Amino acid sequence: MEHPTFAEALDFAIGREKAAVAFYDELLSLASFAAQKSTLAEFRAMEEGHVSKLENMKAGGKLKLSAKAAVDLGLAERLALSELPVSGMTYQDILVSAIKKEERSGALYANLAASSPDAEIRDTFSLLAVEEGRHRRYFEELYDSEVARDN
Amino acid sequence: MDIKDFIAPFAVWKRAFEKPFTVKKPIDQRPGAPRYRGFHKNDVEKCVGCGTCEAICMNKAIDLVPVAGREAKAGDSGLRPKIDYGRCCWCALCVDICPSGSLSMSNEYLWIDRDPDAFRYVPGVDKKPWDEAKLGYARAEGYRLLEGKRVEMAELPHAEAIKSFLELVRGYSREQAEKEADRCVSCGVCVASCPVHMDIPGYIKAVRDGDLTTGLRLLYETNPFPEACGRVCTHLCEEACSIGSGGDPVAIRWLKRYIADQVELSNYGQILPRAEPSTGKKVAVIGAGPGGLSAAYYLALLGHKVTVFEKDEAAGGMLRYGIPEYRLPYPALDKDIGYIESLGVEIKRGAAVGPGLSLASLRRDFDAVYISTGLPLAYGLEIPGDSHPSVLDGVAVLAAATRGEALGLGAKVAVIGGGNVAMDAARTALRNGASVDILYRRREEDMPADPQEIAEAKAEGARLIEKAIPLEVKDAEEGGARFVWNEARMVQKEEGKRPVPETIPGAIREERYDSIIAAIGQGPELSFVTEEDGIAMKRFKPQVSREGKTSAGKVFAGGDLVNDRKDAISAIADGHRAAQGIDRLLGGKGA
Repeated sequence: MEHPTFAEALDFAIGREKAAVAFYDELLSLASFAAQKSTLAEFRAMEEGHVSKLENMKAGGKLKLSAKAAVDLGLAERLALSELPVSGMTYQDILVSAIKKEERSGALYANLAASSPDAEIRDTFSLLAVEEGRHRRYFEELYDSEVARDN
Repeated sequence: MDIKDFIAPFAVWKRAFEKPFTVKKPIDQRPGAPRYRGFHKNDVEKCVGCGTCEAICMNKAIDLVPVAGREAKAGDSGLRPKIDYGRCCWCALCVDICPSGSLSMSNEYLWIDRDPDAFRYVPGVDKKPWDEAKLGYARAEGYRLLEGKRVEMAELPHAEAIKSFLELVRGYSREQAEKEADRCVSCGVCVASCPVHMDIPGYIKAVRDGDLTTGLRLLYETNPFPEACGRVCTHLCEEACSIGSGGDPVAIRWLKRYIADQVELSNYGQILPRAEPSTGKKVAVIGAGPGGLSAAYYLALLGHKVTVFEKDEAAGGMLRYGIPEYRLPYPALDKDIGYIESLGVEIKRGAAVGPGLSLASLRRDFDAVYISTGLPLAYGLEIPGDSHPSVLDGVAVLAAATRGEALGLGAKVAVIGGGNVAMDAARTALRNGASVDILYRRREEDMPADPQEIAEAKAEGARLIEKAIPLEVKDAEEGGARFVWNEARMVQKEEGKRPVPETIPGAIREERYDSIIAAIGQGPELSFVTEEDGIAMKRFKPQVSREGKTSAGKVFAGGDLVNDRKDAISAIADGHRAAQGIDRLLGGKGA
């Protein structure tokens, strides 16, 4: 993105959140049993919430996000998963997919912030990167407490 | 008249300038002797509200009472002693017997008040002038009315133990069991902490009295797995034991085992209650682990016809396929299961619920269904190279050992994880002749495994490598695989939360192993539950009421699948509660 305006930056972020919704829709289409479907539906609803939140902020002309970075549990960079969705996804598979997705988004916003010459846009992307870090942290907590209980 | 009769009136003058022995006014206080037994003090934080002081007081001068702002919790009844000085004789037996050592006496003895009710108070809660008194009577160092040391349990020496799967713990003799039972003060603080609320003081008393018939009956009131639990229970009761507040907790688990071991299975039918007349109702149970079979037992007692569907070739669930024989011998487990079957519970082995036998068909053909399928799926390491053929799943290794299959682990084994499955896998590998490293991401004190299991794994020769963050599995030219990890330090990143392991830059280690056993956690197998079954789930966990009822009405669920504790006794408790709930659903009283 070449020197976006505030509105364009928000549109980009909204687009990414909508892509996240579509990501969970794709997984839902492959899900074969109730436990998978309900988990994916819950995470999809969270992404829809993010879309609404950003759309409201765009309408208000101001990004109201906390600048306080979430603590990094350090799981995202170490987890490796084939990201091709499969119908037999376990809870672990779903969480790893979610963590990696949030990690990628956060990295993208951080890169956009670093490459932006405009202070307001830089701040916008930085806040979005921090927000993605919070989302990533949410899924990492679930992974740490419910999947890797014994490690 | 004698000369003394003349001198006597003048002899009194020799006392004229001496200080009188008696005080001029009785109200003037003379300090009590340093160990004078005066008014009570109590360290209310150390006190566990066990009521042993109340029990021993011959004058009934002590009552355990609720205290504002103090709630009951594991190992603490939340009550505190209230002393009535109209009855107290200051014998200090209450101080001498106090298990935690919280109760003592000041050397203050003077207290004047017009209100007689003032002389009944809760030491340590109701503030008194003598609360900070340094002098007074406390139990002398090294002096105890109660025996603080547990009767030691004989175990196989470690060097001998790792040569076979022979049971490690030998069990108590009658003399040892009665002596250990004698340490119990019957306070009952343990009962609340037990997930099934076993009548622990009751069955310990039965051991003390040599009345094993009553003991067995008390065990089965709440728990149909005394042989198993008497060996592998997580013994929350012992953590709560009031004797443990000042010494070794009573060996409640070993005493439970003692009772079960002494009574032959052939005599159970004469001792334990038989089933009520048939209700004509049928219940399906999915999973023959401790949770499913507990539900089956109590449902059968209530007169319902129970069919248990078990995917494996033998019943027992993780008790059989996850716990090695040196901890829980199969004959002991079979005794528990055999009695449940003797009540008419039918266990269909090798019958997995899934495409050929759907949950929908069970819902149609039975009056109620209980799902207790546990957590049979092992979670993977999720690091590059984790699909290497040398990487094995801990649960599968233990199951293979149960089936008597050759494990082929090789001479050098790594076990990744810090839970009980990791410890059992490590000790199984040791017994197969391997040298074993246990690698855990955090510190030993953070490991979720039973501390005794960790200590025994180390004593048997396993090397524990703490703060090892898995990075990668690589192929090894010489065979096997190379496990790569990063050394970590623990960093307190957030107030009130546990420290997080953080990689130390450049501190990468690797080692070659013949086998790498992953035991980082387990998850549920729920592919047999479709949306049409109507069971509300949240993150792969059926949502249930307190008695285990799901949103699907006649379907209940419990055990590791549902609860957070993930141990046998909690699964047994869930099964019992669900049996009561199902009975109420089917028109019974849920007794």
